[in-house]
Amino acid sequence: MTATVGYSAILVAALSSVGIIVQGFRGMRNPDLARAEKLQWPVYGMVGGALLAMIALEVGILTDDFSIAYIANNSATTTPFIFKVASAWAALEGSIVLWGLVLAAFVYTVYRGFAKRSEPDQLGAGALAVMGIVTLYFFVLMATVSNPFSVCVQPASIGCLEATHFPWADSLAALEGRGPNPLLQNHILMAVHPPMLYVGYVGMTVPFAFAMAALMLGASGAEWLLRTRTWTLIAWGFLTAGVVLGGLWSYEVLGWGGYWAWDPVENASFMPWLIATAFLHSAVVQARRGMLQAWNFVLVIATFALTILGTFLTRSGVITSVHSFTQSPIGPALLWFLMVVLVGSFGLFAARAHVVASSPRLDSLASREGVFLLNNLLLTVFAFVVLTGTLYPMFVDVFSGSQVGVGRPFFDRLAIPLAFGLLLAMGLGPVTPYRSAKPEVVWKRIKNPLRVALGAAALAVLLGYRTPWLVAFILASFFVMSAIFRNLFVTSRTVAQKRDMSLPSATLRTMRNDTGYWGGQISHLGVAILALGIAVSANLSVEADITLTPGSTESVAGFDITYVSPVSRQEATRFVTGAQVEVARNGKVVSQLEPRLNQYPTSTQSVATPEVDASWSGDLYLSLKSIDAEQVTLGVFWFPFIWLVWVGGFITAAAVLWSRLVRKPSDDRLAEAKASRDG
Amino acid sequence: MDSGARTLGGRAITIVLAVVVVVGLVIGDSAPQDRVNAIGSRIKCPVCQGEAIGDSPSETARAMMEIVAEKVTAGETDAQIVDYFTARYGNGILLDPPFSGSTLVVWLLPALAVAGGVWMILSRKRQPAPRGSEHG
Repeated sequence: MTATVGYSAILVAALSSVGIIVQGFRGMRNPDLARAEKLQWPVYGMVGGALLAMIALEVGILTDDFSIAYIANNSATTTPFIFKVASAWAALEGSIVLWGLVLAAFVYTVYRGFAKRSEPDQLGAGALAVMGIVTLYFFVLMATVSNPFSVCVQPASIGCLEATHFPWADSLAALEGRGPNPLLQNHILMAVHPPMLYVGYVGMTVPFAFAMAALMLGASGAEWLLRTRTWTLIAWGFLTAGVVLGGLWSYEVLGWGGYWAWDPVENASFMPWLIATAFLHSAVVQARRGMLQAWNFVLVIATFALTILGTFLTRSGVITSVHSFTQSPIGPALLWFLMVVLVGSFGLFAARAHVVASSPRLDSLASREGVFLLNNLLLTVFAFVVLTGTLYPMFVDVFSGSQVGVGRPFFDRLAIPLAFGLLLAMGLGPVTPYRSAKPEVVWKRIKNPLRVALGAAALAVLLGYRTPWLVAFILASFFVMSAIFRNLFVTSRTVAQKRDMSLPSATLRTMRNDTGYWGGQISHLGVAILALGIAVSANLSVEADITLTPGSTESVAGFDITYVSPVSRQEATRFVTGAQVEVARNGKVVSQLEPRLNQYPTSTQSVATPEVDASWSGDLYLSLKSIDAEQVTLGVFWFPFIWLVWVGGFITAAAVLWSRLVRKPSDDRLAEAKASRDG
Repeated sequence: MDSGARTLGGRAITIVLAVVVVVGLVIGDSAPQDRVNAIGSRIKCPVCQGEAIGDSPSETARAMMEIVAEKVTAGETDAQIVDYFTARYGNGILLDPPFSGSTLVVWLLPALAVAGGVWMILSRKRQPAPRGSEHG
């Protein structure tokens, strides 16, 4: 029953998508048809179908309906409530349902904006049609190769062995489900991280769709950019938060003592982020100076294509092995869609390039535009490096069958100088005037920030930290931070004098007056903190493996680590084997930690759970490497100031809130309204 | 005159700080190099998914790390130790692709991308703009 409802909902959503495409394109061609009532029912049908499919899946999971194969293989009666809810997107088929729902929500907000316009909106209609194509693709995917509502015809004692596609077939329910992958039910972040990433990925469909509609209409200008600004920013904010949360999850759960390993799944989320970031910046240049029109189309197409590539990489099985790829039909389906997107959108772009490629030229490289170009160059090269490093081993394997390894050392070696260049551009850009910058103007603005940065670097050197890249990153990130604060201080001081206000309220007023700009600066501040955190925690970390017998003590990074006793106990959903460890510093006990291995009944693999003693000066991180009756082997890590990474990351993402939610001071709004009334 | 003195003082501070940083970097790193972990991060654990032997808790990886540690104490060079592993497991064991052979391309492609990007930016600059002549 649940399966039939869910499957029917998917079919309704797919059919409604066809309606959106037809009505959208008709509206795009003929302004008389670009009206809300023409698109109302298809949009409602698609959104309703997407919502109902998700509800059906959740109802099935919460009622333990193991006649549905997906539920039998990804949930269990013993799974705690929150992880049951999250298991709706813990595996391939379910994650596509969530994808469809998020996409439907974006289509709905675009439709609302479209319906509110008083004049015919051909651009909006065209964008809805393009989004309709994307929704159609995903709902057809759900109805065919990635059906979340396949019913089980051959149950095993736990889980389902064989399923049939048709939900109305006679089904046989398994007695117990397999439960989610242990790695996914080990930490709450796994319930939050994927949806955030999806909102980020899927949100990029909106600027892409408007860009395609603008190309089809031959509409040059920045209208598509300005209209999609909010969606782009929201999507980017979620993407940022999703990537940071992914790192935090890896750190808290995987126990290898890091948060970023440059593995293909991480890279898949990082590449669209890099290009979307380039797009946010070059969009500013187009809005301000009318430049980079064509380039913005390239970036938005690339961002969208990279989100599809990311889904392909993470969901097709191509990463574990290029040979498992053909076994899952979703892989080829995603690859074909990627080809269609690339050929279709770049083909359209090439055909219309004459319309959009007439932007003003650069006056001087030494200008704000020049720094923006440097930023775009570095970000796209960065994304290209990640793309090359991720795909190259797969290409070699496919074409020659031989194995080559491209891993962390490769990425680190190239990412570090690129990131350093980006920080410098981030410090210089905001203080460089548009069009053409006089060196003395720039020098006046950077000389104090530069002194602060040199002071921080000199302090590090005097304290004995002399790794060149560490000093370089301390210099660059302090430069960025102090340049932002100098800029804010100088601007606010002028406002305070002009309006006779106190400095704090003048500061708030300044930041509220241009939320787009200051939101960006807050984001830059976050990135500088993040970069500092990465540089410090990576260069000054201490790691050691120690093997201890009960009662014995060993010293790592100034901490005396004593193995008290082994621990084992049965918890509600898992069996825990751990080590009771006491940590002392200068003879004083500072914490009791229990790094452990969690064994879930539905899986043979046990999951290591590290335990962290976090303080402002850093994290002492213990992971259990092996344990037997006599002794325990612990991985001990000391990460100084690693909280800077998380704090910086979340400031970067949350800055979007400032730029979109904070309103202008009310008297300024009134003055503006008056000015526009008076013409 | 007061502001002149301030400028002078400011310059002096900037120069002193810069000299401290440069001298500090020239004197060099006081921390000893951890060669075992450095090599451990360059070699892939053959039974894991893309993890370095230095990061993986698996038995194989730990045994390989012990070999690395022994060879470092025995005074072998980084290249000798890496060659020892590639001779046994093939080039696929390296996470750090060598700048030669089938992995030369991974290093060259980013360089080409930089060159292409710089060329694109400069070509936009050079082509005659409507007001280009005034700006030289």
